[in-house]
Amino acid sequence: MAKSDEDRLLDHSYDGIQEYDNPLPRWWLWIFYATIVFVPIYYLVPGDIGAGKGMIARYEAEVAAYKASAPPPAAWDAAAFAARAKDPALLASGKTVFETNCAACHRADGGGLIGPNLTDDAWIHGGQPAQIHVTVTQGVLAKGMPSWERLLKPEQVDAVIAYVLSLHGTNPKDGKAPEGTADTTAVAAPAAPAPGA
Amino acid sequence: MSAHVDTFSYDDAIVRKFLWATFIWGLVGFLVGLLIALQLANPAFNLGLEWFSFGRLRPLHTNAVIFAFAGNAIFTGIYYSSQRLLKTRMFSDALSNFHFWGWQAIIVAAALTLPFGFTQAKEYAELEWPIDIAIAVVWVAFAVNFFGTLARRRERHIYVALWFYIASIVTVAILHIFNNLSLPVAPLKSYSIYAGVQDAFMQWWYGHNAVAFFLTTPFLGLMYYFMPKAADKPVFSYKLSILHFWTLVFLYIWAGPHHLHYTALPDWASTLGMLFSVMLWMPSWGGMVNGLLTLRGAWNKVAEDPILKFMVVAVTAYGMSTFEGPMLSVKTVSSLAHYTDWIIAHVHTGALGWNGFLTFGMIYWLAPRLFQAPLHSKKLAEMHFWIATFGILLYVAAIYSAGITQGLMWRAFDETGRLAYPDFVETVMKLMPMYWVRVAGGTLYITGMLIFGYNILMTWRARPATYEVPVISAPPLAPAHPEPAAPAGEGLWARFTAARFHRRWEGLPLTFTVLTALAVIVASLAEIIPTFLIKENVPTIASVKPYTPLELAGRDLYIREGCFNCHSQMVRPLRHETERWGEYSKPGESVYDHPFLWGSRRIGPDLAREGGKYPDLWHVRHFQDPRSVTQNSIMPTYTHLGRRTIDFAGIQGRVDAMAMLGVPYGDAVTRAPELAREQAQQIAAGIAAAGGPADLADKEVTALIAYLQRLGKDIRSAPATASAPAPAPGGAP
Repeated sequence: MAKSDEDRLLDHSYDGIQEYDNPLPRWWLWIFYATIVFVPIYYLVPGDIGAGKGMIARYEAEVAAYKASAPPPAAWDAAAFAARAKDPALLASGKTVFETNCAACHRADGGGLIGPNLTDDAWIHGGQPAQIHVTVTQGVLAKGMPSWERLLKPEQVDAVIAYVLSLHGTNPKDGKAPEGTADTTAVAAPAAPAPGA
Repeated sequence: MSAHVDTFSYDDAIVRKFLWATFIWGLVGFLVGLLIALQLANPAFNLGLEWFSFGRLRPLHTNAVIFAFAGNAIFTGIYYSSQRLLKTRMFSDALSNFHFWGWQAIIVAAALTLPFGFTQAKEYAELEWPIDIAIAVVWVAFAVNFFGTLARRRERHIYVALWFYIASIVTVAILHIFNNLSLPVAPLKSYSIYAGVQDAFMQWWYGHNAVAFFLTTPFLGLMYYFMPKAADKPVFSYKLSILHFWTLVFLYIWAGPHHLHYTALPDWASTLGMLFSVMLWMPSWGGMVNGLLTLRGAWNKVAEDPILKFMVVAVTAYGMSTFEGPMLSVKTVSSLAHYTDWIIAHVHTGALGWNGFLTFGMIYWLAPRLFQAPLHSKKLAEMHFWIATFGILLYVAAIYSAGITQGLMWRAFDETGRLAYPDFVETVMKLMPMYWVRVAGGTLYITGMLIFGYNILMTWRARPATYEVPVISAPPLAPAHPEPAAPAGEGLWARFTAARFHRRWEGLPLTFTVLTALAVIVASLAEIIPTFLIKENVPTIASVKPYTPLELAGRDLYIREGCFNCHSQMVRPLRHETERWGEYSKPGESVYDHPFLWGSRRIGPDLAREGGKYPDLWHVRHFQDPRSVTQNSIMPTYTHLGRRTIDFAGIQGRVDAMAMLGVPYGDAVTRAPELAREQAQQIAAGIAAAGGPADLADKEVTALIAYLQRLGKDIRSAPATASAPAPAPGGAP
């Protein structure tokens, strides 16, 4: 801090306000210079600090790096699913997933609203667990079924498929009329207590 | 020199008027802010009324706080200090009053249009074209009045506060005019003449510099007058004033693109915006340093004087937000903070702390002088200070946490490489406790404001029956004296740093103004010219076609409802963004967007790739009651869209206006209403067939759905063979 005897008042005064002729604070000036020097550095230094090749190049590198390191997606294991399709814990979590994400279109009881009735024998895109898995994960954009692959974790997808299968035959009041083709074998598989469907 | 002395008086009546307006509009602006803060914590506070929904009121809040509260505060201070610094009455009392009443009328016009959905959809430039013209007229009246006063001054040199006033008045005029250039299509509706990337650039050139030249430079001017006055201390360093003034004015202008990092704005502009923001750090801090060091040896006064307390916190808040600004402008930091509440916290440090507290300090200092009675209660002023300070701390602490929390949740991946929080609403729910703390902080700040109002009102009530008007005497303006010669043997650098040239400019306000304008204009053109001229900035995409007439009408509803206040339409090229929303947004996708609707905050999800994500009926139900399809959604209900009918007849004029702006509309320029009706009927039939309401063919919701279903679709059809005819009609899956 400058001692007050270093302050030299300038000779002018504006409505009683005076000014000192103090020099610029050194630290202030040096930081200012440093921010100016940062400009060429930013342009010259490649990589994470500098401008590099731009945001798109960086993005593409990021995606490529991820793809190189990511494990290849494992195929959905229908047999493993069938083995636990009746697991009460799985069904309970499936109910939550269904009510949070699916009920808006398929109604809380699965009777159908915007989307088709899930309790009858008719299936538009197939009622085998593997087919439902495709419908849920990929979606059917043309008919307004979103893809849930990004929103639901694999475990949640399994849970919701199990829950949907468990709705079969519940025949809720005022359900939507059947759409698609009947597939009565579909629900037989998980109904079987033993694995191997 | 003659012994002649002029006698005259200052116009304090106008200052009193602006002071009251500052308080009244401040209170209004803060209360609207509180209401919309409540709406985020609980959507029921939208009251189910379209005029009170977040999208309609958010611009009213920002405009009220910036232009009504801060604006009137600036005018209060400028009218008081300029007369005294220049030793003359204002140039024209008639212009002063025109400025006052004109400005208040503009504010009333804002309050009467924004809640009804009349908006240009550009942040802090929402007001529609007739009001924009009124703003320009009133601003010019203010400028004539101010520069007339400068011309009639009795003080040879102009003090640093006046430099900042000059820079503000000149630059705000330039920014306002060039960002608001638009083509009117109706008495309260216009389309920006710029589109997409260029519109975004112009908007943030304006938006950033509105912060600079409306909320920073004028307030620095006020600080340079009222702080040394209140502390009764000389300003720390005249040299620092010079350097930080010029560097601030020149560097600030370039920084706008930092609002658009990782968007479709080209890299070079984004990089310039970042680097100039970093260089802006010290020029900004020059004001803080000069303010705080002016208080050297006066800290004992601060302890007992609420006025100085307000000013110290104001300058400190200024220092914090002007450090944070450059930090946020670093691309990596921006990638976390952009679209989150971090930015909201940043601006509230500035607005509540710097602008608010400097205003309070200034008015507490002015009130006894203007009302010629001692301040009613110093104790209440102290109380106001502590309550409001605590309010700010609660507000910003909560909202900083909210912003960083949400930013981190958006980018988080789990161990399998999937988004850890793929459900957007989950990241919103996480913020609810912080939103309630924000409400508490804002309530405290408003409580302080009420105490302040009471204190000023009581001071006013103790005024004399008639105000005494002191007669001032001063010698007329002395002719400019020649610059003192440089000492013999002084080098160029020493001559430069001695700043005698600057002393000469201070005696020539016209030269000073021209130089300031030049600094601003040269800096602006350096970015604007390449933005408009370099073709590679916006590579064209053949599959991107104009909106159909119905989609255009829907887009105007999107604007009317203020959807852009909560929904971005800009997917950034970052892996977590493309994982969540889909392909990143390309510059060529918004070439027909007059105005651009990229948004700046994601209170709700991004909509750039919304088209085809959900069926039409989903949207119908979502507008009717968002929570019926998305549990925990905080979106307001939009039932009126299902009741109000589409103005088919008005669509032709809108399409024609777009065609005039260069959008290739083809045969829609002759039969837009028919085309719109056809498309609306198709969509409505689809909705009815899916089991939805049967009467939507002429309802607004159908137009809005048509627009939403179009979003992001054009590039999806891009790789598909040659050129498909036009993905125009239909839209519905």
